[in-house]
Amino acid sequence: MQKIFKTLCLSISLMFTHSIAFAEVVTQHIPELKLTAEAEYSKGMPNKPAVLMLHGFLTTNQFHTVRSMAQAYNEAGYTTLAPTLTLNISQRKQSVKCNAIHTHTLENDVLEVKHWIQWLKDQGVQEIVLLGHSSGSPELMHFLAHNEEPTIKLAIFTSLFFLSGPELGTLQSEIDHARNALKNNNMQPHKYSFLFCKNNYFATPESFLSYQKLDRAYLLDNLKNLKVPSYTIMGGEDKRYQSVGHKWLDELEQTGTHLIVVEGANHFFSSEYEFDLQDQLIKITDAQFE
Amino acid sequence: MKTPEKIVQPVQFYFALFLGIGFLLLAIMIWSFYTEGNKLQKTVEEQTYQEAKKELISAINHTLEVTRDQLKSLSEWDEVHQQFHDPSYYFFWHDNRLIESSYYQPYYLQLELYTTQRKLLMPASPENHHEDSLPESFAVSSAVVGKTPNGKSFLNLSQPIYDRANRILMGYIGLSLDLHKALLAQNQFYYLNKHAIQFNNVHTVSIEELVDFIDFSPVSNPVNNYLWELTQKFIFELIAILLTVSLLLMLFFNKLIRSPLTSLSHYLQRLKSNPHQSHTPPEETYWVREFEEFKSTIHDFHRNLHSAQIELDQQNLLVWEQARRDALTNTFNRRAFDEMWNDIFINFQTQPKPTAFMLFDCDFFKALNDTYGHEVGDEMIKASAKVIQQSLPMECPVYRIGGDEFALIIQNRTQSEILEIAQTCLDALNQYPYQSLGIKEKISFSIGISSIASSANDYLTSLPRQADIAMYKAKQSHHSKIQIYHRSLEKESSALVSNQIISRVVDSIHTGEHIQMHFQPIVAVDQSNCYYEALIRIQGQEGLINPVEIFSVVERRRLEVELDQQVIRATLTLLQQNKIPKDSGLSVNISGKTLLHPDLIELFTPFRPWIEHYKIVIEVTENFLIDHIEYAQKVLNELRQQGFLIALDDFGSGYSSIRYLAHMPVDIIKFDMSMIQALNSDSKTRQIILTTADMIRKSGFDLVMEGIEDEAMLEQAKAAGATHIQGYLLGKPVPHFDQPCECQ
Repeated sequence: MQKIFKTLCLSISLMFTHSIAFAEVVTQHIPELKLTAEAEYSKGMPNKPAVLMLHGFLTTNQFHTVRSMAQAYNEAGYTTLAPTLTLNISQRKQSVKCNAIHTHTLENDVLEVKHWIQWLKDQGVQEIVLLGHSSGSPELMHFLAHNEEPTIKLAIFTSLFFLSGPELGTLQSEIDHARNALKNNNMQPHKYSFLFCKNNYFATPESFLSYQKLDRAYLLDNLKNLKVPSYTIMGGEDKRYQSVGHKWLDELEQTGTHLIVVEGANHFFSSEYEFDLQDQLIKITDAQFE
Repeated sequence: MKTPEKIVQPVQFYFALFLGIGFLLLAIMIWSFYTEGNKLQKTVEEQTYQEAKKELISAINHTLEVTRDQLKSLSEWDEVHQQFHDPSYYFFWHDNRLIESSYYQPYYLQLELYTTQRKLLMPASPENHHEDSLPESFAVSSAVVGKTPNGKSFLNLSQPIYDRANRILMGYIGLSLDLHKALLAQNQFYYLNKHAIQFNNVHTVSIEELVDFIDFSPVSNPVNNYLWELTQKFIFELIAILLTVSLLLMLFFNKLIRSPLTSLSHYLQRLKSNPHQSHTPPEETYWVREFEEFKSTIHDFHRNLHSAQIELDQQNLLVWEQARRDALTNTFNRRAFDEMWNDIFINFQTQPKPTAFMLFDCDFFKALNDTYGHEVGDEMIKASAKVIQQSLPMECPVYRIGGDEFALIIQNRTQSEILEIAQTCLDALNQYPYQSLGIKEKISFSIGISSIASSANDYLTSLPRQADIAMYKAKQSHHSKIQIYHRSLEKESSALVSNQIISRVVDSIHTGEHIQMHFQPIVAVDQSNCYYEALIRIQGQEGLINPVEIFSVVERRRLEVELDQQVIRATLTLLQQNKIPKDSGLSVNISGKTLLHPDLIELFTPFRPWIEHYKIVIEVTENFLIDHIEYAQKVLNELRQQGFLIALDDFGSGYSSIRYLAHMPVDIIKFDMSMIQALNSDSKTRQIILTTADMIRKSGFDLVMEGIEDEAMLEQAKAAGATHIQGYLLGKPVPHFDQPCECQ
């Protein structure tokens, strides 16, 4: 009953906030990639930090979890910027399928994040919160590990999991194959198994290998060494635990991040757990910037 | 109204006619039904065709629209933009990713990316297995339809791709799709038979012209087809039912009507063919009660009819017998004789055999009958018949063909045998004791015989007449009572009269021409008076016609009255012309028929002025006078009162009953010449004649003796007491009056 009430309130609030918050699509040329990236930008109150939120694997900023988080921040008066990683597609609009040709790399993604941070700063933002969902979280962690950006005041990772590892079905043989191909300068795409793209992740060796570095140890290590405060919000019923094990939460907690587990929520905080996620995000952010 | 014969036909004919007309009408009805149903089906088919055409056009437009939408989606597909941005992996994308993507439809033949110059972004990959339906470059962006070398119809469309950032043209998407498959995949067809779509040899026509190059057919309309199937099924069922009904009707008709009718008809035919036989009715049992009753009725009717027929046959036989039996004598009668004679005549044509005809006649039977009465006469006839029949051979039946006349026919006998038979009969007749019947007079019979040999040239039909002639010859004879016909008798009877003479006699009697009256004097013995007997003669082409021939013709033609009228007219003329000598007179013969003529008195009335000066005598024959004595007395007495004298002619030639003389209204008795000749016979006869003459004379009659030819006869006549004499001695009949009265 309580959940129904919340859903009703969210619907009414969405209708209301739509009338007061105007999201816009902004683009930015990435000269290194010769691509134009696109993001959804919503300007909040000037006294509040901007939240740069990064979507998950192969999705866009229109993914419902991202939209939900952006909406929560917009309602709370925060400026939000939700870029869509180009994945080597200029102004990409749609999610990329597993069997599409993946030529994008982790480095390209980070580069694009970097440009968007710069874009925010260009917009006069002085405090930035990095918010990642799913694979967007380790990518942002990778960014933080390799870039010192003083404007970044807070990092929030949702559904944080590593991207490579035998637990996830990553085959060493495929990594070896990719490495050999790369070594042989054979850039032809090949079908790999990568996360949920089982045997149909059609990627160049470079692209495939670039993400393999985001393994379990890499994440835990980087999380432990982050220079900014970090919060990690996990769904209590995320199915990834079936492959990575529930001790992953313990491992995360051991890194020093503020671990919040939303019981009952899945990987995407679907349904009524969106509100829990929103509540947690606003609560964390508000607390950080009081 | 009489029914024409053509209308009368066997029952099968009418049933066949009924069936034929019925079938014809039903065939017309079924054909009409079939035609209307077919027309309706054609109309529906045409409408379906038009709907199919509309549907095809709509489907093409829809396919075009959908394809354009797909192209638009493709143009917004990130990966397409990616290829324009970096076509490094174009082949992988084009040959693998693209085909696996949800954008690529199964009916796509080829999809290529083109540069802004409308040239292929990348050449075809070595592993390209697509249809080469897209060109390497294209000029216009409009839809084009064509056919691949493999015969597949394709639709080529292009879509420009613009950069998302600056809306600058990046290039084009060229899409070629299998039009047939696309149409089927993107459309639902209700009227168009999607399997029947055929594209003609289309080579790059515009989409607007496409319809004209498509062969198509509408789907079979299930309702229409079902209705048509129902119609056809109904027609076939109707035909089957009609045939079955007709067959049943035919079987029922055959069993119920035709077979019984045929059976009954055959039964009736049997009855008709052999009506006198007993026939069993048809054994089969009819289903129709009326036929059963009819059969039973016919059988009963025929059985009763057969019984009645048998009874009738018996009655007919009896009637036949009675009709052919003489009731009085129980011999065969005239009818039986005619039939038997006819049979003989017919058989004689093929099997001629010697045949004799024999006639028996009782002399003076009439007088005998009148004298002793009919009962005695009948008994005499019965006795005569019995005697004749008993005297004849077994194979010769006797026929009573007249009152006292019997006839018989004898075949395969010689002349002597015939004569012997006749003589045996005559002897038996003469020996019969007629006294037992109360008849005192001697009864005599005359027999006339005629016969022919077996030659077919002989005239069988002449036998009765010849026998008749012979019989009358026998009657005239006192001794030869059996006469056999020979040609000499023919002359006597003048039966054979030439046609020329017949013609002259008949003509003269009717016109009075060629009649020449001859007169023979009748002279008183004492020479005190004399008168003439007027005798008719007719002038023939070769002299006078024999009087025998004249009277033969008159009798056969029944011209007695006319002859007498001519004689009366001629004699009256002579009187009027004063050609009759004074103090003489005329004697005129009249026949029995003239005597019975109702105008007899008026016929002689013109003579009355001359009665005072002339002796007018009317001569009548004895036989006729006796036959009609009462009427004769009446008319003759009236004439006598008027002054006419009546003479009884030929007394003695017939029965000459003395008993009649007292009552006869006559004044003069004329002895026949045979009486005069009899004066020379035996004394008994002579005495009778003399006594008779004496009695006549004493009774007051004048007595004229005819046939006086010489002086001896004259003396005998005088001695016998004749008051007048007539004969060649005194004068032959001549056409004038110069003897002997004038000599007086």
